[in-house]
Amino acid sequence: MSQLVLDKLRARFGASVLETHSDFGDDTAVVSPDVWRAVGEFLRRDPALDFDLPVDLCGVDYPDREPRMEVVLHLYSVSRRHRVRVKARVGDAEMDGAELDSLVSIWPGLNWLEREVFDMSGVRFRGHPDLRRILMYPEFEGHPLQKTYPAQRTQPLVPYRTEEEAGLPLEKQAPFGPDEGMPFGRRPLPPPRAEDG
Amino acid sequence: MEPLDVDLEEGEIELPAEPMHLNMGPAHPAMHGTVRIVLELSGETIVKGDVQVGYLHRGFEKMCERGTWAQVFPYVDRLNYVSPMLNNVGYALAVEKMCGIVVPERCQWYRMALGELARISDHLTCTGAIAMELGAFTPFLWYVKAREMVWDILEEETGARLTHSFGRIGGMAHPPTPAFKDLCRTALPQILAIVEEGERMLVKNRIFLDRLENVGPISGADATAMGWTGPCLRASGVAYDVRKAHPYLKYDEVDFEVPVGTRGDTLDRFLVRLGEIRQSKRIIEQAVERMADDGPVDCDDPRVVLPPKDDVYTTIEATIQHFKLVMEGAKVPKGECYSYTEAGNGELGYYLVSDGTGTPYRVRIRPPCFQITGGLSRLIEGRMLSDIVPTFGSLNMIGGECDH
Amino acid sequence: MPTFQLDGKTIPFEPGDTIIRAADRQGIEIPHYCWHPGLSAPANCRMCLVEILPKAGQRPMMLDILELDASSGEYKPVQKPKLQPACYIAAAEGMEVLSDASANVARARRDVQELLLLNHPVDCPICDQSGECKLQDYWLTYDKTQKRMRDEPVHKPKAVEFGPTIVYDGERCVMCTRCVRFMDEVAKDPVLDMRQRGNLNEIFVAPGRKLDGHYTFMTEHVCPVGALTTKDFRFKARVWFLRTAQSVCQGCATGCNTHLDYDPRNNKAYRYRPRDNEKVNKYWMCDEGMLTYKEAHEGRVLEATVDGAQRSVVAALDAVRDMFQGVPTESVGFVLSARYSLEDNWALRELGLVLMGSKNLYTSGRADGYEDDILIHRDKNSNTQGVRQLAPGAKSLQALVDDVSTGRIHHVVALGGSAPVDVTPLRGAKVVVVAAHRGPLTDAATVVLPATSWAEHSGTYVNARGMRQIADKALEPQGSSKPAWRLLADVAVALGYEPSWTKLKQVRTQLIGSAGADASSPSLPTSPAE
Repeated sequence: MSQLVLDKLRARFGASVLETHSDFGDDTAVVSPDVWRAVGEFLRRDPALDFDLPVDLCGVDYPDREPRMEVVLHLYSVSRRHRVRVKARVGDAEMDGAELDSLVSIWPGLNWLEREVFDMSGVRFRGHPDLRRILMYPEFEGHPLQKTYPAQRTQPLVPYRTEEEAGLPLEKQAPFGPDEGMPFGRRPLPPPRAEDG
Repeated sequence: MEPLDVDLEEGEIELPAEPMHLNMGPAHPAMHGTVRIVLELSGETIVKGDVQVGYLHRGFEKMCERGTWAQVFPYVDRLNYVSPMLNNVGYALAVEKMCGIVVPERCQWYRMALGELARISDHLTCTGAIAMELGAFTPFLWYVKAREMVWDILEEETGARLTHSFGRIGGMAHPPTPAFKDLCRTALPQILAIVEEGERMLVKNRIFLDRLENVGPISGADATAMGWTGPCLRASGVAYDVRKAHPYLKYDEVDFEVPVGTRGDTLDRFLVRLGEIRQSKRIIEQAVERMADDGPVDCDDPRVVLPPKDDVYTTIEATIQHFKLVMEGAKVPKGECYSYTEAGNGELGYYLVSDGTGTPYRVRIRPPCFQITGGLSRLIEGRMLSDIVPTFGSLNMIGGECDH
Repeated sequence: MPTFQLDGKTIPFEPGDTIIRAADRQGIEIPHYCWHPGLSAPANCRMCLVEILPKAGQRPMMLDILELDASSGEYKPVQKPKLQPACYIAAAEGMEVLSDASANVARARRDVQELLLLNHPVDCPICDQSGECKLQDYWLTYDKTQKRMRDEPVHKPKAVEFGPTIVYDGERCVMCTRCVRFMDEVAKDPVLDMRQRGNLNEIFVAPGRKLDGHYTFMTEHVCPVGALTTKDFRFKARVWFLRTAQSVCQGCATGCNTHLDYDPRNNKAYRYRPRDNEKVNKYWMCDEGMLTYKEAHEGRVLEATVDGAQRSVVAALDAVRDMFQGVPTESVGFVLSARYSLEDNWALRELGLVLMGSKNLYTSGRADGYEDDILIHRDKNSNTQGVRQLAPGAKSLQALVDDVSTGRIHHVVALGGSAPVDVTPLRGAKVVVVAAHRGPLTDAATVVLPATSWAEHSGTYVNARGMRQIADKALEPQGSSKPAWRLLADVAVALGYEPSWTKLKQVRTQLIGSAGADASSPSLPTSPAE
């Protein structure tokens, strides 16, 4: 894998490129959120790079870090056949300030992907023509792919029936209990914060 | 409306001037896999179409974070559920890329053959469905008959017709059956005969051509900017196929071509898929020819592959290996990785983030038809209501993949 | 600080440290079975073998061995470097040690692992150690091969009852002698020993004796495999279903640090494991303490009662309000408990001393018991020092009984059900008890409010040495129980006062300000968030 893309990014944006690596052969650059749009423009317009195909945009939550939400953009150039992964980290522990510039004007294909990142991870995109939920229904509260969103939580639009309505004892209402379905000894829990008792 | 017994001159009757809202709702025979299009119509012409997906969203990515790496295989099966083997192979390759494992040659040929069979099944379904929704029910049934032949082979190999969960990290769940090669060699010519029969019936049909030609065109540059990949992109003239551009498995050792269209309209997308079925047949024939008749299918790395069951019951080492792999999961090295293959609809990517344990930290599935469906609204705006059906059908939006 | 090199990394060490100890301090693990930081090092498992490079100019120590030459099928004499056990060799300045970086060490570990598993029974599905077993972990990391033996493994005694608490399985035993050394060095009762030789080796109890005493659970704790199991925990739970909370033992004033393992699916505590703390309990706990986890479920008060009849907490609080209507403050007594956390006691003190302005503070707890010079303290309450710091002038419970008998006190608000003296005269008074466990005080009470036990809320406990330690929350509150400090806020509201605390953060902030905090104590919570 050539280092061309990363070298050009570092040369152009200097200190705004916070980290780079090429683990497993994928060139990756972490940039500062304020140059997100400029980096996008550069990757698209520079003739040696020519990233014309927006492959993917997603969010990865690292609640132990600050900023916690990492927005990952994968790009591909059909003519040059190279790829790059560009990341930006936004949002504090409460997801305040999780905003990025929208890149829809550069790659129209990111329209739905940015809506999905907003829906699933809670990152807002400034300048997006139509930022609303795409996979979840509009009344949904919360952003499911954040690590702090409990996997077993259900938000039924039509409330579940109560025991009186059912006429028989209902053991549980959620589709599965908080620790059913898998031996969770695999993932250590985050250390307990001083909750109220 | 004024009563009709009033004497009116022509041209004085008032017709409603606002656009009409029509809901092509999620439960609609032409909305494959539940998609809702909220249309603003002016007569029969579409002024604005809002495509709403998400009805089949099942929360895969969140569920993957609660199991082991191997427990993700049933989830990825249910993405593009008409070509599940391609999803399985794609995910297995992604984890193997992170672990640094290369599977034995026999397994690579096997994966290619099964993957191309799945691709044939995918394209048969798509083209048959396009025809059916236009009223041509017969070619659809013929293609379903051909698809049954593919599914019979897959049932013999994996035990299931559709969602096999056959892939494993480091190999496949079972080695090829002794009948595999003969089944393929017998079935493929029959499938091709059916494909050609259906093609002859449709492609010369005036009504069919009128419904598909120049309907929903998109230029190559626009399609690329929209993030399209796969047959839809190739129909617009951009010759990007992951199997040729970035060969994986043994795709660089087989001869095949990549059909590319010119106009990027619905007809081209239809024809490109039929062409790909022919090329898949060529690939399967070559793979089956070159696949060894014996030899291991799984790599021998005890960190990812389960031991044979009779060893598990009799030796302590195999018990420990089985225990660690099942209870804790294969430990994938820490880091992140993006791996991509050519699935039925285009570049299927897996972006995996691992924290070094047996549970994935994040599994991001890059669904090819998500962005393709995102381009639907611009394809249908300005066209007629009945153009939605073939256009949408030609995009091959699979609900499971689009909504993951 | 003197240093040595381990795989290229510089490791500082204290004089007298062995290589494995110094590496362990830095968080680097050299695989081992028989070594334990709290016991002597016998170097019999040979898993910690490392390659120590010779000093410049010195010849390396080599061994003559015969190696099978694959091509000719004959044994050829070769030399291999002699490896040293890291648990026995003292670290020296400038030493160069190769552990993971050496191919000889990798081969040695593989061979040692193969030998240890040679006669090991296929017990993983029924062995309690499964999921936390070193054999499993090290096989996957360092071995990954099948053993070469084709014979029937040697069979040894299985499920041998060593004593009232421990069961031994000879086939699983790797003869590390950790249990033997523990009983000898820490428990000072050398009742275990090894007998027979070669592959017939087994551990046995001295004739005429049983493995009894106060520290038998620790033999199971040190056992790296499933050879020693406690009858208490055998077959009860699989460890991968258990979550862990960092807790403090409530058995006596030593305040041993523990791991409380519980299953969140059914909200039950399953066992204690000692948590290492150099300053409190080192690596150990006593048997009585290990069994106190059961108190999270046994003898619990889970519902409010008024005059013996179960009522809702709200109804009980109403009864409290009615009971205290127009009662003069001088006739109300407040009983703090040495078994409850600082937060709970502080809340009661706030209610009594500050809000109601009373001076009638008493303390209660459990009576004294057995003590020894290893870990067990005579005082069977976990927070005596804490209560003493909060209310230095509080009187004993006997004084309260006397005051009630004379009629000076006729209303009591008490924390906890236990009492070290006879409290039958209290039945003549109106008593409100906020308790987690039933006891003499709850029997004598008019109104009982259900409190959470130590396992169900985060609490601070001061041990006999004056160290503040926090026990984290593990289980969810059972029944209608709530943390005692929260119930006392509700009681304050019922009595017509406005408590200054509604959240744990507020309690902790005010707690740090008050009461003589031992600023040099390392376990001191320095911020409310701890």
